[in-house]
Amino acid sequence: MNAILKYPFLAVFIILLISCSDNDSEEVYEDLPSLEDRLFAGGQTTVFLTSSNSFSTPAPNINGSDLADHLDGDVDFESVFVTAPASINQGLGTIFNNSSCVSCHPRDGRPSFPANINARSGFFLRVSLPGQLENGAPIPVPGFGTQIQNQAIFGYQPEGKFQVTYTDIVEILSDGTQITLKKPTYSLIDTYIPFPGNALLSPRIGSPVFGLGLLEVITENDILQNQDINDTDGDGISGKANYVFDAVTGTTKIGRFGWKANTATILEQCAGAYNGDMGITSYLKPIETGFGQSNGEDGFGDDPELADHILQRVALYCKTLAVPAPRNITVSNVRRGAKIFEQLECAKCHIPKMQTGPSAIAALANQTIFPYSDLLLHDMGDGLADNRSDFLANGNEWKTRPLWGIGLTNVVNNHTDFLHDGRAKNITEAILWHGGEALNSKNKFKQLSAKDRNDLLNFINSL
Amino acid sequence: MKKNIFILGLASMLLVNCSDNDTDPVIADGAINKEILTNASVNVITATYKELYDNSVVLTTACQNLTIDDEAALTAVKNAWIATRAPWEKSEGFLYGPVDTEGIDPAIDSWPVDVNAINNILSSSQAITSALLDNDDARGFHTIEYFVWGLDGNKTASQLTTRELEYLVAAAQNLQSKTQQLYNGWLQSQGNFANNFINAGQSGSIYTSQKDALLELVEGIIIISDEVATGKIETPLNGDNGAASPQDEESRFSNNSKLDFANNIRSIQNIYMGDFGSVQGKGLTDLVASKNATMDVSIKAKISDAIAAIEAIPGTFTDAIFNNRTTVENAQQKVAELKVTLESQLQPLISNL
Repeated sequence: MNAILKYPFLAVFIILLISCSDNDSEEVYEDLPSLEDRLFAGGQTTVFLTSSNSFSTPAPNINGSDLADHLDGDVDFESVFVTAPASINQGLGTIFNNSSCVSCHPRDGRPSFPANINARSGFFLRVSLPGQLENGAPIPVPGFGTQIQNQAIFGYQPEGKFQVTYTDIVEILSDGTQITLKKPTYSLIDTYIPFPGNALLSPRIGSPVFGLGLLEVITENDILQNQDINDTDGDGISGKANYVFDAVTGTTKIGRFGWKANTATILEQCAGAYNGDMGITSYLKPIETGFGQSNGEDGFGDDPELADHILQRVALYCKTLAVPAPRNITVSNVRRGAKIFEQLECAKCHIPKMQTGPSAIAALANQTIFPYSDLLLHDMGDGLADNRSDFLANGNEWKTRPLWGIGLTNVVNNHTDFLHDGRAKNITEAILWHGGEALNSKNKFKQLSAKDRNDLLNFINSL
Repeated sequence: MKKNIFILGLASMLLVNCSDNDTDPVIADGAINKEILTNASVNVITATYKELYDNSVVLTTACQNLTIDDEAALTAVKNAWIATRAPWEKSEGFLYGPVDTEGIDPAIDSWPVDVNAINNILSSSQAITSALLDNDDARGFHTIEYFVWGLDGNKTASQLTTRELEYLVAAAQNLQSKTQQLYNGWLQSQGNFANNFINAGQSGSIYTSQKDALLELVEGIIIISDEVATGKIETPLNGDNGAASPQDEESRFSNNSKLDFANNIRSIQNIYMGDFGSVQGKGLTDLVASKNATMDVSIKAKISDAIAAIEAIPGTFTDAIFNNRTTVENAQQKVAELKVTLESQLQPLISNL
């Protein structure tokens, strides 16, 4: 890498101007929270961007060698894998979901729900047999594993194809506004061998990859402080940490990543995605996802296909992507929205503030951050349930998603499909899909006036 | 394709929006901003994609006219490929919108070429159609380039096979359909992504202010300048531990890389100047000139210098990374200087509007 090109920006100071008055008369009558201390959402890793590149820049405070690895990791994140043998990027498949990291995490953000569910996209189905392995992991379906690869290199058969049908759920807000949610039901068709009728299916869609290194170094103790498994405080909200098997250390660790917090580290998440999504083996996942299957082996014996240092720098890349700052935080309707966010008890799970602990990457250590997540599992009700357990997460439980950057989804990815399978088409729908422990919050949302609702949405979109 | 080793100006001065309502903070320049944004999105970006689509139609026809042993027809295909490649490279200063969100970039410009997939498809008994290629990386510019020029760049029409011709037509048709989708995505009468720029700051636009939309234009040209310098030139030049790594050169079968890089810089020029083809409209240059005439002169000079330095590399790029490394390094340096100027001067100026 050419040092001349990389470092000039480091010398540029960020000049912060918040010295403006807000003379809104409403403030006289309402005690509105100040959001100014939340401006640096990612601590010193925060950037101030509002474009389609808002999720895609390195943390401004990373040091020279980490920055060089980050930039190399950026190239690796975009590398397209091809059929083996080849001189560059070999080893796609044989069965896979997509051929590069970025194809499921476009612009380091969210993919939309695919118009054609069997085109290459950021969507796939996880599967398992009922019950759990001794260590709590889902039981692989013989011949399919725990993820359906609906693509294959030429001459091989995918494990199957996806199918989705919808049922309407009509929600009526107190002002009469009617919103129709589309509840998806998924099934498998054209499987390469018969698929067991009792197997469980759970949909997944890719999620943004910025700020992950910060979430990885929030101390376990800090996460557990918000745990309330048996709801001893009686507020209707429990919160449970997942504990999962971690292939990196071979031990049980607290789960932080994935829609059900079933992965402990970003390194393992990356290795799992290379293996499960692209069919690329690495030192952490050296066995092809289709091993032992008639469609699963190319016979080259070239595993691991990914060099160790590439896996590690892709993980570093994901750890050190900057967090975008919130916008419009002094605007009064945004501040009113923040107050409503508290009043509706959204903030009980989407906890605004967290603190990071020590980190091997200096830029991530001891940062005050605003992810709006407790990283805990919550029962989200039957409407969202996948009825498929994953370590300590039961079939109704999902991990609280961070909300940072959510208001930039449209400018980054040109859509607003949210939740674990992209079923919600905007933030209002995402809120209305909340149930279980969040049912009270959802019902209070439905009672809001149009003005209050818009203020709440303005606040969420400011993140 | 591989892309994107970039750092954007994290420089941006942070301006917390002080206004209580959603009015555009750039009221004073609102009219000229709208002119710039409209011209860029319609007369530069959409027009570039129109040329890309139009030329891809010619390429498809040329492929359909190709037969084994017809060297003149093969030359026509090569010329049509080069002509189609040009507007694509001139579009890489604005890789946002449908090209990204509809997955068109990987369909058009997938790299590296999946030679095994191509061979497996050729040796199968399946009919090779655009639809067959639709779910595969073995398509797009570089797959066509591979068929037309061959791995060593010396392919002749006598070496073509019937199956290769079938594949070539399917790949050209596929490219045509994807470029049409891309053009339609921006066209005002169709997908109208241009509307996000024209009506930036108003409801219905993904940009909450004109400034945000202007910054999108600026960041797009910074990113391509960075990619040409630190990726497209750097990796083939130094990718093998400081030595040349020719397999990392993107358009190496056709020896079109120098033109690719120069056209990438022309995409910067087109966005900055607001010009494309015969249309000369309002561009960022007009805004910059009114605020800081020296900066405007400097940016225009650095764009011209970068193009000139790329074109001054003698012979093919593949040869030059071994035998004329200083000229390649000079071109890289000129592109890098352009990037630094855009990042350290232009972006702050727009950020502080």
